Amino acid sequence: MLMPKPLFLLTMLAVSSMLSGACLVAAAADAPSTSASQGSGNTTQATSANTDTTPDTDNTGLQAEEADPLEPFNSAMFTFNLKVDDYVLHPVASGYAKVLPTSAREAVGRALDNVLVIPRFANNLFQLRIPEAGGEVARFGINTTAGLLGFFDPADKWFGLKEHRDDFGLTLRYYRVPTGPYLMLPLLGPSTAADTVGLVADGFMEPLSYFVPWYVSLAAGGGQRIIEAVNYRSLHLDQFEQADRYAVDLYGAVQDAYLQQRDNRVKELKAGAD
Amino acid sequence: MSNKPGKRYSAPLSACAAILAVIAIVSTTVAMAPVAYADQSSTDVVKSLVNPALEILNDKSSPLKDRQQKLRQLVSSDVFDYTAMARSALGLHWKDINDQQRQDFTQVFTAFLRDSYISRIQDFSVQQVNYLGASDLGDGRSEVKTTIEQPGGAAPVQVNYMLRQEGGKWQIYDVTVDNISIAANYRNQFNRVINNQGFDTLMADLKRKQQGLEDQLGTPHAHD
Repeated sequence: MLMPKPLFLLTMLAVSSMLSGACLVAAAADAPSTSASQGSGNTTQATSANTDTTPDTDNTGLQAEEADPLEPFNSAMFTFNLKVDDYVLHPVASGYAKVLPTSAREAVGRALDNVLVIPRFANNLFQLRIPEAGGEVARFGINTTAGLLGFFDPADKWFGLKEHRDDFGLTLRYYRVPTGPYLMLPLLGPSTAADTVGLVADGFMEPLSYFVPWYVSLAAGGGQRIIEAVNYRSLHLDQFEQADRYAVDLYGAVQDAYLQQRDNRVKELKAGAD
Repeated sequence: MSNKPGKRYSAPLSACAAILAVIAIVSTTVAMAPVAYADQSSTDVVKSLVNPALEILNDKSSPLKDRQQKLRQLVSSDVFDYTAMARSALGLHWKDINDQQRQDFTQVFTAFLRDSYISRIQDFSVQQVNYLGASDLGDGRSEVKTTIEQPGGAAPVQVNYMLRQEGGKWQIYDVTVDNISIAANYRNQFNRVINNQGFDTLMADLKRKQQGLEDQLGTPHAHD
């Protein structure tokens, strides 16, 4: 019963996250088209060294190539994830979308997000974003009660308390830990070496694993991941179609969108925005 | 003694002359600058692109084909600096290809970007575009921030336009969607294709994609 914690967490991550990877791929792939995932906030720095493209200076854009020593593995996993999405996730999500209206599925998404408060709280705290960390606690309290287990978001609607997305991968970036190579995780989607460490660290914060036998929390975690993936995909059904329409090389599009998105988020965190 | 008054006045006089000279130079420079420089802000330039595009899109009375034709004319104007975009999207590889290849690439990529832009704004069921102002990026560059309101309470899409001023004229050299730079994203894609399969494959792929987009635009979408 007492499996070593790290091993247990890794197992949990690997097994329980069935399907959610394709969902993350979708999220990143969607970014250049019609992502609704991070529309809020008015960020001040859309240009980075990477995106700064003055026509007259030769901007190499070769960073991504250098940062992809695992390309053969990544490429295989990308194909695998697309297949999982194609044969399992998308059909299931389509069926689910037919039986539950959009508003209900959005509420499910909010409820699932609500229970993941601890990593958000902890990582805001790690970055000494104290008001934001406090805001996460307040949001959880309000939305779990007045928001009926998080299905609704009165914390934002009534009190203007916005969610402060954060995770351990961002904490590592925040403190300038090198991200390591780009890594396409099976089922879990695009990541980097550091972001994968972050996933495990955030997994440690899952409170259930400390209170119930491992197989219970494993099943619960797995179930939660699957529901999350299906629910998310059901709200973004034409995402791959969209991304593929505008991409000449889908792998490269997803890779760059993921890396740009993570870079942008940590810049927002550093700027104290959002 | 008789010299003294002259000396006393010489300093203020020369200062006056200097000021006059400066004023003269400044006013000539301003007068010589093109009208666009003095009148049009980067935000105005973006508005001159986006507002007519919205009008055309929302004019459901005229046939889709006509509207797309109008949109194509609109995005073909020199509001977009397509050459800069092409060059930026190729990154270092721009140096490795000859003039003819550069020309061909720029032509195909321009057509591709044009059709992508039309297809994208058609896909966003645009309710309203908010202009959040411009920020100066230095080096004569400016970023104009907009959000596109979506129907049904979906989170608004953040679309920012990066402009550069040359010869008094603002031109768009990059667009970011939810802070993802389109030029950088294509640069990563093109870099991979060129490194793995070569420039000719990239040209073929790009042509195929552009043709696909064009064909798709020709057939009415569900939301029209």
